[in-house]
Amino acid sequence: MTTIILIKSVDQEETVREILSSVVEAGEQIHFIRLPSVRCMGPLIQEINPMINYDVDYTINCLPKEYDVSDLVEFAIESGATRICIGITEQTVTGKARIDNLTQSILLHDAISGDVVVGDHTIILEELTYDR
Amino acid sequence: MLRIEFQIRLAGISSRFFELEEQVGSIEIDNALPVAGDAVFLFLTAQFDGEVSEENLSKQLSSMQIVDMSRAEMNRCTYYLGVMAKLSDASVLSLLTENRAIPHRIVGRNAHLDVVASVRDWSHLKEVASTIEAEHGSLELIGTTQTENIGFPLGGNKIKQSMSGKISDEQLNVLETAYQMGYFKVPQEVTAEEIAGELDISRSTLSERLRRVEHNFCELLFGPQE
Repeated sequence: MTTIILIKSVDQEETVREILSSVVEAGEQIHFIRLPSVRCMGPLIQEINPMINYDVDYTINCLPKEYDVSDLVEFAIESGATRICIGITEQTVTGKARIDNLTQSILLHDAISGDVVVGDHTIILEELTYDR
Repeated sequence: MLRIEFQIRLAGISSRFFELEEQVGSIEIDNALPVAGDAVFLFLTAQFDGEVSEENLSKQLSSMQIVDMSRAEMNRCTYYLGVMAKLSDASVLSLLTENRAIPHRIVGRNAHLDVVASVRDWSHLKEVASTIEAEHGSLELIGTTQTENIGFPLGGNKIKQSMSGKISDEQLNVLETAYQMGYFKVPQEVTAEEIAGELDISRSTLSERLRRVEHNFCELLFGPQE
């Protein structure tokens, strides 16, 4: 299984911990993808230490400055990702996970489908299949 | 099952209401009943800025027939209307039900329609969103949550309907916000300060409004105090 964790802010430690402890299994491949607005993930990764604490291999990648949802979907296809996890940074007044533009674009993208699970801190898109 | 909240441009009956001479704060579809042909009976709650007359509304809403209109007991600018309209006046509702999504709330306010609906899964969400985008131009997803049950579909919340008009808009807003933010859960998920902050009111105002709501609920359940 290969999981993409989309990092929208360095303050997403709780999200990443939730994913690594209850979504991802030991031995899996993780690709952290940071938005260009996230300048450095070093402190976040150091704090979590995915290899030691969760026994997963990981890479860190960045979306291009003028990114589009297709950049993310392209990466997901190339890396054979079976899951994409998107942190919930805010909730609506009615307690729903607030959806930003990028999340909406992924959810409504034609080339990607699967199951949606809404956790406490994460929206998990899993059982992913791709239609190129 | 996913509960989704989205926004689209004003359309159908809501845009007609916002074109009225009278200032409209919000217009909500409470219920809809199909009528033979392409007509639909719509039950609406409309918040105006002041008093309105049925005659004046009828003149301006010539494409539909106002069958019934009453004024809320407490919020005198709130009106309940029963109108016979064309199905196209409730197109978002039709699109949702045609696509087997369950509508929960359809409210027009601030130049857009706020819609809450339930869909089966991700592919159903795409299907519904694509149909609505094709008809209404664009759709903005606001939020989502996972749910095990359908909850109250549009027109199914009898208690809310019984309470409508018995408590003021401000009280209802306070109650709903407090409820949605988890104030009544055990343990409490938010503090009174956080709710007051969300509503931009003082804590004492929040407390007063909540107590008035409780009082009105008790009055409804047990009758007036001796």
